[in-house]
Amino acid sequence: MFEFFFKYSAYVYDKGEFVLAAGWPAIIATAVLAAIAIPVILRYSSVRGKSSRLDRSVLVTIRLCVLSIILFLLLQPSLAVSTAVPQENFVGIILDDSQSMQLTDYGDERLAPRSDFIHELFGNENSKLMMELNERFKPRFFRFSDSAERLEDLNELSYSGEQTRVGPALDFAHQELAAVPLSGLIIVTDGADNSIDGLSASLQSLRANSIPVFPVGVGMERFNRDIELTSVEAPTTVLAGSQVSADVVIEHKGFSGETVLLLVEGPDGIVGTQEVELPNQGDSTVVKAQFTTTREGPHLYSFRIAVQDDEMVRNNNQRDILIVVQDRQDKVLYVEGEPTNRTGFLRNFAIDDDPNLMLGVFMRMAENKFWRAGFESAEELAAGFPTTREELFQYKALIVGSFEADFFTTDQRQMIHDFVSQRGGSFLMLGGRNAFGEGGWQNTPVAEILPVELVPPFASAIDPFYVDVFVTPTLFGRTHPVTQMADSLELSLQHWQTLPPLGIVNQVGKVKPGAVSVLEGKTVNDETHVVLAYQRFGRGKALAFTPVNQWYWQMAFEIPLEDLTHETLWQQIFRWLVNEVPGQVTASTVVDRFAPGAPVTVTVGVLDDNFIEINNAAVTAIVTSPSGQTRGLELDWTVDTDGEYIATFIPDEEGFHQIHVWAGRDGKALGEDIAHVEIAKLSTEAFAAERRSALLARLAQETGGRLYSPENVASLPDDLRVSEGGTTVLEVKDLWDLPLIFMLLVALVGTEWSYRKVRGLA
Amino acid sequence: MTLKLIPRVAVVPVILFVLAILVDSGMPLSAEQGSQRGWFGRGRRDIMSSSTLPIENIPQAGEFIFLRVRFDEAYTSYGGYEWGLDMGWNHDYPRAEQNITMMLEELTNIPVKIDFRGGNILSFSEPEIFDYPFVYISEPGYWVWNDEEVLRLRNYLLKGGFIMVDDMQSDDTEAFYRIMNQAIPNTQFEILDTTHPIFNCFFQITPEDILNQYYRARYNGTPVIYGVYEDNDPGKRLMVVINHNQDIGESWEFANTGYVPVEQANNSYKIGMNYIICSMLH
Repeated sequence: MFEFFFKYSAYVYDKGEFVLAAGWPAIIATAVLAAIAIPVILRYSSVRGKSSRLDRSVLVTIRLCVLSIILFLLLQPSLAVSTAVPQENFVGIILDDSQSMQLTDYGDERLAPRSDFIHELFGNENSKLMMELNERFKPRFFRFSDSAERLEDLNELSYSGEQTRVGPALDFAHQELAAVPLSGLIIVTDGADNSIDGLSASLQSLRANSIPVFPVGVGMERFNRDIELTSVEAPTTVLAGSQVSADVVIEHKGFSGETVLLLVEGPDGIVGTQEVELPNQGDSTVVKAQFTTTREGPHLYSFRIAVQDDEMVRNNNQRDILIVVQDRQDKVLYVEGEPTNRTGFLRNFAIDDDPNLMLGVFMRMAENKFWRAGFESAEELAAGFPTTREELFQYKALIVGSFEADFFTTDQRQMIHDFVSQRGGSFLMLGGRNAFGEGGWQNTPVAEILPVELVPPFASAIDPFYVDVFVTPTLFGRTHPVTQMADSLELSLQHWQTLPPLGIVNQVGKVKPGAVSVLEGKTVNDETHVVLAYQRFGRGKALAFTPVNQWYWQMAFEIPLEDLTHETLWQQIFRWLVNEVPGQVTASTVVDRFAPGAPVTVTVGVLDDNFIEINNAAVTAIVTSPSGQTRGLELDWTVDTDGEYIATFIPDEEGFHQIHVWAGRDGKALGEDIAHVEIAKLSTEAFAAERRSALLARLAQETGGRLYSPENVASLPDDLRVSEGGTTVLEVKDLWDLPLIFMLLVALVGTEWSYRKVRGLA
Repeated sequence: MTLKLIPRVAVVPVILFVLAILVDSGMPLSAEQGSQRGWFGRGRRDIMSSSTLPIENIPQAGEFIFLRVRFDEAYTSYGGYEWGLDMGWNHDYPRAEQNITMMLEELTNIPVKIDFRGGNILSFSEPEIFDYPFVYISEPGYWVWNDEEVLRLRNYLLKGGFIMVDDMQSDDTEAFYRIMNQAIPNTQFEILDTTHPIFNCFFQITPEDILNQYYRARYNGTPVIYGVYEDNDPGKRLMVVINHNQDIGESWEFANTGYVPVEQANNSYKIGMNYIICSMLH
């Protein structure tokens, strides 16, 4: 449409510079306009007859407009554009050879594979597009998927690539054609880039060399009917027996209101099922899938929804994630300011037989009289609460019971703060007469990390504060792993309704902004109290649990003897506390599943005993393949980030690879960690496979190119001519014969004639 | 000989009177329903229902409240105890709990409810007893238990409760042994020696230190502390302590009167506080 009115495409106008080819000075043109306009105005204004003042104003305006346009045309308006010299320039045509090009969603009436578009337009020498390109340029073809290469014959395209990596493809074509005059790069793809590469560096390089990219997008921007498991987020490392809650993002098109079954399959079969009602409003929903990990080791957990009728993509209904179930023993320090029944019930029922937790209890039984239990050695905490960071930071979680703030020194209170923010540990404050505000914790560094506001107590010592609250999960808490008490969310919620009330003696304030309430309690008067809340703080997290008698969910008359509410809740809280708490040495990879042949980069963070990053550590790793073959790696400091070391290797086997990392400094071991990756054929091409116009538009915008679809790709050769890339000459394109101008003149003259006719002035 | 002292015409009314007392009092007619110690152990023949006593308990507010267990028992008489009744379970009430709770408040960090009543009183027929993980039972040898109480005693212990049984001599201990075995079959009473944490979790003390003069004088009894473990496994949780030939509560009661030696009073406080604290630590 634009070209119909304006003769050239918008891209040509964008690239060109407007000039008046007549070469008259502007002052002369203005004088000529004035010389014509003034007599016209005077003539019309002096006319007396049937015409009114309004008539004369309308007519003189129309006449002046006509005269102005004619004068403008006499000035010879033109566009000066740099135009590629025919047959002097090259153009790179990069064709997507990935699996997603096999999807059948190209065309209007009868849908065909996306690859058909490539063959119809670029594989046919007689197509108008290729004829024009061949006439003006020297095309060079490339194919790309997970890697890019030159393409001599389009029949070599197999559309079997397991990845779409746009950035490296542009880089490759740019390098291949670096020595020749290059008008631009045409990339034909669905834009479904599923790599971890960034595009910025590639685009910056192209922009710096004035090489525009002309993406041609193919495929539907929105499928008619499809269900996709867009992502699954779950902890990568958990203790054996942990309840895991995975966030599953399900996206659908055309299934509004329908119910589907989400299955979770672990190493021993189905470990969870959940019915999901797909939303009417919006395309995506987030589902919390709950399951329990049992067997030690790295295991794949599959999340899937059965393929429904008429789905456009059938293999995007399943996602696999790698979860490493560890059988380690984590140390938790529990300091309690007074003898209380909850200590015994926690020790005896919650973690008694748990081989993965070591709960060291440090209890003040009386003034200056302490009791210790559960520690590794008789010397551990023999001198009381840790006085050095090194001593405190050996624990993964710290629980503080009814201890007043003044018991701790200023440095110890700061250490508790740093334990969370710097060490990345978990902190839990339990309710009690000396906890929270009642214990004077407000205005201390610990108050900063707590997820609740602390307020000074207003109850008197004679009539202390006490309320019984019936506890239920909040809307957020209903799907949180710690609140799961049954096999399904509904049964779990029903179970919470049956529990007897717990007592609270602390008057805590609101949950802080950024913190989340997981459990809340209601009194018989319907007053709401915080029961369990948490927030991330720095590298770690802090929790607040306000009731004083959680043991009551073990003892209460209403609770059956075989009920496991107390045990389950606290086992899950303990695992929540210790899971994903980092050690001094942490090994990771950017993703945990790689395609065969893809390089695997191991990133290791190294901290000293005070959890401060160190850059002069000796870091080594041993990679063990599924067949037991090992290879050693030396990791180097990245320089960019303190305490970060990397090394890259290319696995030569499929299956699980173990990466065991050690770090030390000055002959002293700092720690070790184990990461796992799986090498397998990935089905990433089936996900997010709709045409990604936003990404393609970015390619064009940032390089000075233009985005095309199959509908408007015909103008590509013309646009490419004025792309300013390669060898160009300056070309002046006339604008005086724009169809729009003639239409405007006809419209003005016609309007004057019609006006005179209507007003009786003709 | 006895009949000669009663006019022949009075024999029938006397027999009827005795039977009426037995029926009205609801006394079990079979040994399986009640204590094995014997209905006439102390010479009285009536049963006092403890549930009719005017007891008003202290409401829970997150603090430690001493709880005494009441029960119907085969022997009840009027006496110099609370409510003017000698019921075994109410021996030393309320001064024993008044004194031990004050000592707990004074010497430990336990948040204790101090009240003129000393503590609360509940029976195993009352569900609220499960609100108290530590309970005190005095002289359960005369306990006339029923199936509901035994079931709740079992649940109480297996859920995590702790019972201190006091003022026991051989007949009482044997009777309580039978109660325990009905609640938890094959229960064993193990002698707790000095190495057990119950003797050093707060105060350092030995069983010999807590000699009770009364038992020594009356029964020449050697004090022994028995324990009942979960699954009869000494490596597991201690659920019950039984003060055999011992009356700790009495020493608490008279600690501030001069009726018991100072050392005996002090030691009874020590072992009592150890029981309470150990029950919290499991």
